Amino acid sequence: MVELDIEEWLRYPKIDMHCHVWNLANEKEEQVSSEQLILAGEMLGITEFWCSSPIIGGLIASVEAVREENDTILRAIKRHPQHIRGMCFVIPGHYQMALDEINRCLDSGMIGIKLYNQYRINDPAVFPVIELAIERKVPILEHAGYLHAREDLDSQPLISHGEHFAEVSARYPEAMLIHAHIGGGGDWEHTVSAMRHGSPNLYCDVSGSNLDDGQVEWAVAEMGAESVLFGTDGTMTGSVGKVIDATLTEEDKSLIFWKNAERILAAQGARPTQPREVVG
Amino acid sequence: MNFFDLNAWLGVWPFRSLRDNTPQTLLARLQRAGIKAAAVSQIEAALHRNVQPANEKLAEAVEPFEKQLFPMATINPRFPGWEEHLRRCHEVLGMKGVRLFPVYHDFAADGIEARRVVGACAERGLIVVMPHRLEDARQRHWMDPGQTLDLNQVANLIEAVPGVTIAVTNARGIMGSALWQRQELRKKNWFFDLSLAEVHYVLHKDVNRMRELADFIDEGGADHLVFGTHTPFSYPSAARVKAAVLPVEPETLKKICWGRANQLMRLGMPE
Repeated sequence: MVELDIEEWLRYPKIDMHCHVWNLANEKEEQVSSEQLILAGEMLGITEFWCSSPIIGGLIASVEAVREENDTILRAIKRHPQHIRGMCFVIPGHYQMALDEINRCLDSGMIGIKLYNQYRINDPAVFPVIELAIERKVPILEHAGYLHAREDLDSQPLISHGEHFAEVSARYPEAMLIHAHIGGGGDWEHTVSAMRHGSPNLYCDVSGSNLDDGQVEWAVAEMGAESVLFGTDGTMTGSVGKVIDATLTEEDKSLIFWKNAERILAAQGARPTQPREVVG
Repeated sequence: MNFFDLNAWLGVWPFRSLRDNTPQTLLARLQRAGIKAAAVSQIEAALHRNVQPANEKLAEAVEPFEKQLFPMATINPRFPGWEEHLRRCHEVLGMKGVRLFPVYHDFAADGIEARRVVGACAERGLIVVMPHRLEDARQRHWMDPGQTLDLNQVANLIEAVPGVTIAVTNARGIMGSALWQRQELRKKNWFFDLSLAEVHYVLHKDVNRMRELADFIDEGGADHLVFGTHTPFSYPSAARVKAAVLPVEPETLKKICWGRANQLMRLGMPE
């Protein structure tokens, strides 16, 4: 077996399509936080982060509170246009105001939509958001995982999993839907397998603190390398390490680390903030 | 640079199929990640009441790989005769350390059973390794207790047993743990491995807590780190990536990645 050249793989260009910057106490703290994120990414070859600031815990917050979170992202993009891109968080139950917020954020430079666990992805309340995403040619990243322990479901009763994504993918095959963090907790084998017959626009990302061996290969085997995205959700070295170590071809890893995200950007006429040949 | 993995395994996990879990395949997998040698124990022993057959099986399995795979005994202090298991594993089978599973063998990590077995290990000069988790509790099978090791209890145990050497593997949240927060324990012989912790950035809304191992090292924690991967549960290269960006001097990194485990297990292996 050929030994992996870890240092060389760290220099390999990567787009982290699942990360966060937070709405903190003041702009100084926000700056410190995003600068640390970028610094940590540079050591690992991550050139850009697709960030959101979702309201978690299933909370149906106000429209104003949602807007504040998105304004945090817009500030981060303004500070670091070469490194941070935005995913607009909305609560679909705000209906027209959620759609208005998406348009506001996309018109201000964000490149996608972030949903958390206020609604499952297959809830009809989400359909207008999906239809707008199709119209604007942007991806939807939804917090997800196949949880089954009572204590986990009690805390996230409306979390989406692969079966929900598969159902919506069949209804809207043209929608770019991303099942977040297969390593984010829950039965990753189950949730990935449930999406094996999804449309080519159905994706999962490999982020999360769970570094179970075989996770990335399973996603590629079930969904295809073109449907697997690199993300960290803050587990930066772990997520980089799991893709480097996966027993896949270099071309598969290239799709995961870069090309699939590049293709998602291209759909809306966007490109990576830095060309791959420059950073690679 | 050489890497010694303090946190590797052989055998079967009943709730998920593991690959590279035999001596030959594990070694090949570790070598692909640039790791030269490892401490191993038998996974299923964590779920057995009488652990000794698994220890015997382990010793036999690694015998042909004596310079690369170093067996660690599993001891269940609630099973009658554990003292004899420990003696045989150490004196006859040549094991270099002990792994304990308070969650799976159902004892408190700071209770009387733990104190007795850890005290016996200290008398023999054997390192005790306690996994913080074997698998992420959020995916636990209904037959798996799916609880993490209580680090407050581990801190109590370290305080209670003189001369003990303990490594906690596959943990996150090192900075906030009682082992670090209790100042009186900072000079004791306890260690965390690199397998699960992050280095320069974690998601945290407190900007003073978003650097995990980097902050730990800044505050003087480098002497408490040791290289480990949790293979074949986890991808081995994840720990290699952490080591590659660890903010320490080259000599310190060498200790973390090779020398420390070598010393703790008294292996006497050359650099």
